[in-house]
Amino acid sequence: MKHTTRLMDIIQRSLTGPLMDEEDFNDKHVTQGLARVIKAYDIHINQDQIINQDDALADRVWEAAVDFLASCGVYCQTTNRLILFSKTEILDILKYAPANAWIGEGTDAVQEVARKIEDPRRPLLMGSSIGTPIEDEYFVPSMISYIQEPEVDVTMAPTLTNIYGYDIRTRSPLEILSSWREVELTLEAMRRAGRPGMGFTGVGSSISDVGQLSSDGPGGLRQTDLHTFGIISELKTNFEILNKLTHIIMRAGIVDPYANPIYGGLGGGMDGQAILITAAMIALNVFFMATCVGTSPAHPFNFNDTGKELLLSSGLSFQALARNSKLMTNLTNTPVGGPGTKTLLYECIALTVMMTVSGGSRILGPRSATGSITGHFSGLEARFTGELLTAASKLSRDKAEEIVQKAYSKYEQDLAQKPYGKHFKDVYDLKTIQPTAEWCQLYDEVKNEAAGWGLSFD
Amino acid sequence: MAKDHQKISADLSDALKNGITEEAKSLTQKALDQGIKPLHIVENILVPTLTEIGRRFQDFEIFLPELMMAGEAAEAITTIVEKATLDAGQPSLNKGTVILGQVEGDMHDIGRNIVGTLLKSHGFKVIDLGRDVTASAFLDAAEKENADIIALSALMTTTLPAQKRTINLFSEVRKREEFFIVVGGGAVSEEWSKEVGSDGYSADAAGAVELCKSLLKK
Repeated sequence: MKHTTRLMDIIQRSLTGPLMDEEDFNDKHVTQGLARVIKAYDIHINQDQIINQDDALADRVWEAAVDFLASCGVYCQTTNRLILFSKTEILDILKYAPANAWIGEGTDAVQEVARKIEDPRRPLLMGSSIGTPIEDEYFVPSMISYIQEPEVDVTMAPTLTNIYGYDIRTRSPLEILSSWREVELTLEAMRRAGRPGMGFTGVGSSISDVGQLSSDGPGGLRQTDLHTFGIISELKTNFEILNKLTHIIMRAGIVDPYANPIYGGLGGGMDGQAILITAAMIALNVFFMATCVGTSPAHPFNFNDTGKELLLSSGLSFQALARNSKLMTNLTNTPVGGPGTKTLLYECIALTVMMTVSGGSRILGPRSATGSITGHFSGLEARFTGELLTAASKLSRDKAEEIVQKAYSKYEQDLAQKPYGKHFKDVYDLKTIQPTAEWCQLYDEVKNEAAGWGLSFD
Repeated sequence: MAKDHQKISADLSDALKNGITEEAKSLTQKALDQGIKPLHIVENILVPTLTEIGRRFQDFEIFLPELMMAGEAAEAITTIVEKATLDAGQPSLNKGTVILGQVEGDMHDIGRNIVGTLLKSHGFKVIDLGRDVTASAFLDAAEKENADIIALSALMTTTLPAQKRTINLFSEVRKREEFFIVVGGGAVSEEWSKEVGSDGYSADAAGAVELCKSLLKK
C-alpha cells in the first residue's frame, strides 16, 4: 500500500516528538506504564489453563494495550524522541487496517485473511526455518523440503553462513551480495519445487537497511512478497528501520514487520507480556503501516515460545486482537526440539493448536531447535504444522485446551534438556529430498497419538 | 552487639532484595560504622542475597525491572564497601573487569542488560558498550579499561559473524592472549563458541556469571 501522507506523518513525528532519555523510556513509559494498566484493567491470567477461555479478559487486555500504547509511544533511538499517537488516532487508523492480502504471484498466490477466535478458515503456513543458519550445499535442498509440501503456503529462506566462502559483514558490500544471493537461491528453490510464484519473506540475511533494500526491487524481492523488518524490543525504532519502511512503502510492497517482546523483561510476567504483545502488534500497524503484524515472543533462557508462560500470554494477546480488530496476525513457532525428536512434534501441536483457535492468520516455522543450531530443521515438521492448522480450525477453545494440555505434558520436562535433534542431512535423503524412514516413523506415531486426542486429520 | 549486627545484616539484605538503593547505601555505611568488616558484608550478605535474587529471576518469581533495581542497589553497596576496603589498605574486592557489548549490527539490549546486571551484582566491574559495537571498539575498550574478560553478545544468527570477526581482530593485533573472550546470546550455541575460538559460552545469564568467575580462577 503506497501511502506517503501517512509515511510523512510518522517520519515527522520521529523528528519532532518529545525528547526523552532511553532509560527513562524503558522505566517510566514501558515498565511503569504496563504496571499501571495491569492494575487499571484488572489483568490477571488464569495460570491453570494454557488457552484463554475468558472473552472479557481478552477485551480488557485490548483496552489496556490501546491505553498503554497511547501513553507509552514508540521510542526512536536515532533522534531520542517519542513517536506518539493518541488513543483516538490509534483507533481511527486501525479502522482502515487491511483485513486481507494476496501473497505471491499467479496460481501460487494465496490470500491471507484476518481471522476470529475459533474461525473455521485455516490460517496460512509460512513453512520455513525462519533464518536458521545452514551450510551452502544444503541451502536449496532444505528449502525445497518445505516448498514441495502442499501444506506450505509461503516461505522464507534460512540464513547463509557465508557468501562465496567469505564471512558476511553488516553494512558492507558483502551484505549486499548475500542479500542478492539469498533471493537468487530462494527463487531457484521455488522453481525447482515447481512453485515459482510462491510468496516469500525477505530479506533475512541482511540486517542493515542498505543490505535489505539492495535486493528489494527488479530481479529481487517482488511487490507481492512479504517485506519484513523487526522493531527493537521494547517498542523502539531507529532510522535504519524507518528507511526500510520508507522503501517498502514506495515499492508498494506488503509490509510484514514483527515485534518480539521478551518474557520476564520490561513487561514482567504473563499479564504484562500479554498486554505488551498486543500493544506491539497494534504499533506495527499504526506506527509502521504494517499490512500483516507478527510476533515471536522469546523466553529469556531457552529462546523458545512453546513454554506455558508464552503459550498463555501469546494466545490471550491473539484473542484480544482477533476480537477487537481486523489485523492479520502471525506467530512464529520456535520450539526447542529439533528434527528427529518427538519433542519438536509435540511442541508443534501445542503452539499451532493454540494459535489457530485464538484467531491468528498465519503461523511461521517451525524454527526448530530455537533456530540457533546450524541445519537443525526440515520440511517434515512444516508438513505436520500444516496438517495441524487444518485440524485445529475445526476445534473449539475448550477442546483445544484439552489437546494442548496433553501435548504440553509430553514435552514440558524435556525443554531444559534442549533436545536439538539432528541436522537436515541426517533426517532427509538428499537425492530424493524426502524424510528418512526413521523420521517418518516418529511423525506417524505422534500424528496417530494426536488423532487419538481428538485432532481430525481427514 | 551480635543482635545489632544480625538486624543490620537482615535489613541490608531486605533493602537489596527490594532494590531500595538509598536505604541499602545508608545501611551499608551503618554496618561499616558498627565495625562489620567489608569482606563480611560481601561474603555473608551481598553474595547469598544476590544468589537468591538470581534464582528468583531464573524461576520467574521476579522479572527484569526488579532484577535491575536490585542490581543498582548492589552496585551502590559494592562501591561503598570497595572504598572502605581500599581505605583500610586491603586488596580490592573487585572480581574483575568485563567489557560487555552487542556485536556490530545487533541492536538488542534486554538480554545483555540481564547479564550486565547479574555480573555487577556479583562484584564484577562491567563496562557496557551497548549495542552495535564494532570489533575495534571492543579492542579499544579492552585496552583502555585493562579488562579481564570481553563478552560478545549476538541475538541474531545474522550477527554471529561479527563475533568471529571481533575475536579475529584481537588475534590479528596479537592481543588475543591478553584477554578472555566469551560469547553468548540467543543465536549462539556451544558448537559456534568452539568454532570461533572463544574461551567460553553460556546459554543464560546466571551461567555467564559462573563462567566469568571460573575463568578468572584459572
